[in-house]
Amino acid sequence: MTTTLHLDGLTEDALTARSGEGGEPDWLRDRRLAAFKRSLDQRWPDSRQDEFWRSTPFDRRISVDREIVQGGAARAPGGIGDDADAPVVVANIVDGALTDVTVPSGVADLGVVVTDLAEAAQTHRGLVEAHLGSLTTSDPDGTGAGSDRTITVNDAAWTAGVFVHVPAEVEVDTPIHVRIHATEAGAHLPRVLAVVDHHATARLVFEHTSADDVDALVDEVVEVIAHDAAKVEIATLQRWANTVQHLALQKVQAHRDASVRHLSVTIGGATVRLLPEFDLVGPGAEVRPLGVYFADEGQWFDLQPYVRHIAPHASSDVLFKGALQGNSQTVFRGNIFVHADAVGTSTDENNRSLILTKGARADSTPFLEIECADITAGHGSATGQIDALHLFYLQSRGIDRDDALRLIVFGFFREVLAEGRIPGIEDAALADIAARVEAADLGSVQVNDAALQDHT
Amino acid sequence: MADLEIRDLHVEADGTELLHGVDLDLDKGTTLALMGPNGSGKSTLAYSIAGHPAYDITKGTITWKGEPIQELLPDERARLGVFLAMQYPVEVPGVSLTNFLRTAVNAVNEEDVPVREFMTRLRSEMSQLGVDESFLQRSVNEGFSGGEKKRFEILQAALLRPELAVLDETDSGLDVDALKIVAEGVNRLKGPDLGVLIITHYTRILRYIQPDQVHVMFEGRIVASGGPELADELEEHGYENIKDLKASV
Repeated sequence: MTTTLHLDGLTEDALTARSGEGGEPDWLRDRRLAAFKRSLDQRWPDSRQDEFWRSTPFDRRISVDREIVQGGAARAPGGIGDDADAPVVVANIVDGALTDVTVPSGVADLGVVVTDLAEAAQTHRGLVEAHLGSLTTSDPDGTGAGSDRTITVNDAAWTAGVFVHVPAEVEVDTPIHVRIHATEAGAHLPRVLAVVDHHATARLVFEHTSADDVDALVDEVVEVIAHDAAKVEIATLQRWANTVQHLALQKVQAHRDASVRHLSVTIGGATVRLLPEFDLVGPGAEVRPLGVYFADEGQWFDLQPYVRHIAPHASSDVLFKGALQGNSQTVFRGNIFVHADAVGTSTDENNRSLILTKGARADSTPFLEIECADITAGHGSATGQIDALHLFYLQSRGIDRDDALRLIVFGFFREVLAEGRIPGIEDAALADIAARVEAADLGSVQVNDAALQDHT
Repeated sequence: MADLEIRDLHVEADGTELLHGVDLDLDKGTTLALMGPNGSGKSTLAYSIAGHPAYDITKGTITWKGEPIQELLPDERARLGVFLAMQYPVEVPGVSLTNFLRTAVNAVNEEDVPVREFMTRLRSEMSQLGVDESFLQRSVNEGFSGGEKKRFEILQAALLRPELAVLDETDSGLDVDALKIVAEGVNRLKGPDLGVLIITHYTRILRYIQPDQVHVMFEGRIVASGGPELADELEEHGYENIKDLKASV
């Protein structure tokens, strides 16, 4: 018998019982309980007061009065990488339970670990105890240490976890796919911890899918530690049905000379609030946070990449591009923080929005908080429609209007997607975008003819 | 009836009339040079033939192969064999050059050319125009130099095989070597099935592409017409005497 947990009514007794049922070690139970106690001092976000929630009305878009889903009968769907020439690593989280993990022998032979996080709390205790929660609430400066309860409840009550460890100097090209799939109504609390040791390389893919019309809230926390000179490629695809609410913190800590690329592709979901965060704690670290998103009728995407330059001589370059159609809303709030000690920082952040039809709304705020003078920093934001001159040029070569619009929209995203290095991701993202464009009423696409007047 | 027949064409942009009644005939298999000073309406005429949305035809007709085309969309005109090499080719960010060219070729031919066949043709045309293969990885006109853009326009003409090619100031911004390459490219396309309208301010491109006829445009009207010798006259005397020309018409 599994003890029932309620997202908005966690208790010490229930969490203790549940931890015991899962056979978790005492230290992990104590972590959960400590997080639970912190959560009592916090509240659910209030969009009238919380700066980072100001653009998205929490009480209208997210419902927390839900039982936590802890496993069910549904089976894992397939995903990206199933058709790859070489088998990929797959960890399936279905309805709040880790159902299976497949690690090809060639990868396991390298010493790479991909396993159940709760088991790893015992079998790899040193690594897990040192790092789990280190980027969220165990660290007083971690995200979630403030007033926002949405992350702390995952610290307290996560139900399905994956632990990834790539040992030092091991270079794994084989992508590690974590597939998070929801078919049952309720709250889903997945958790991932990945430790990529020094001079190691890893590719992580997060695939988020669901059954049609499922009324689920997925409150996800991912922590990635990139040790010295590690190279980490991350792709996260939000391919939910348009009923799912998704809160995700994917936080990366980059040590000396570590190199991190993070690509988010957000297409599905009723409300998706994605926090790709990067702490540059070692000199020479570099991060490239990339995002593409395409919002359609009724959808609300809130993308908040956050880069913290703590160490000197690190670099970051944020680029997010989104298209909107129908009555949809996107929020880009990019944050760059440069600590007083972070001399020689180089940072840039840019957001581009393409409004295809009337009724869509894009908010964009690239935000800089700079305590150090000796840096180079840039930021930019632009929102526009399809350029009539682009359209004319393509049409003048015989391409009809609809095909020309498709080419232009794909081109808009290609700049970002072409940077991804993980096989299959660009194709999957373009297929998702193509489906969006196909479904659109291209006749209603609005074209900006301001450039035409400049031209004459 | 000429293949391209323009009658009493009046064109407005942004509320201002730029062409005040232009008549022009052009047959396939012939080359016509349209000369004139800046602002005389040459590009307006070129864009009006191609269907640029900023130019409103308020009066008159453009007939191509017996069919009035002034109401057609730019892509419909292109599929009827009309091609405009633009004075300022447009950069279209992110749209891959290869994908763009293949989509255009398929649209104009109204059938899908097999990829391999297409790539073979593309590579061959590129090498004839001295366009490096690395361009295949680039986006349409993005970051191209002025000369590269002009070459790319002619490359498109070579692939799309139009029946009417309007070359709007294709020579401007080209050094003499590039001009020769581009002119050779145009001459390769010439034949009984292609009419060429060369729009130019200077005569230098006409040393490489021989026109059958020369028209001179001034203040939105064609004010003089003649054989190739008219271009030489303009070269010698410039456009200052254009009013005299006008008087002599």
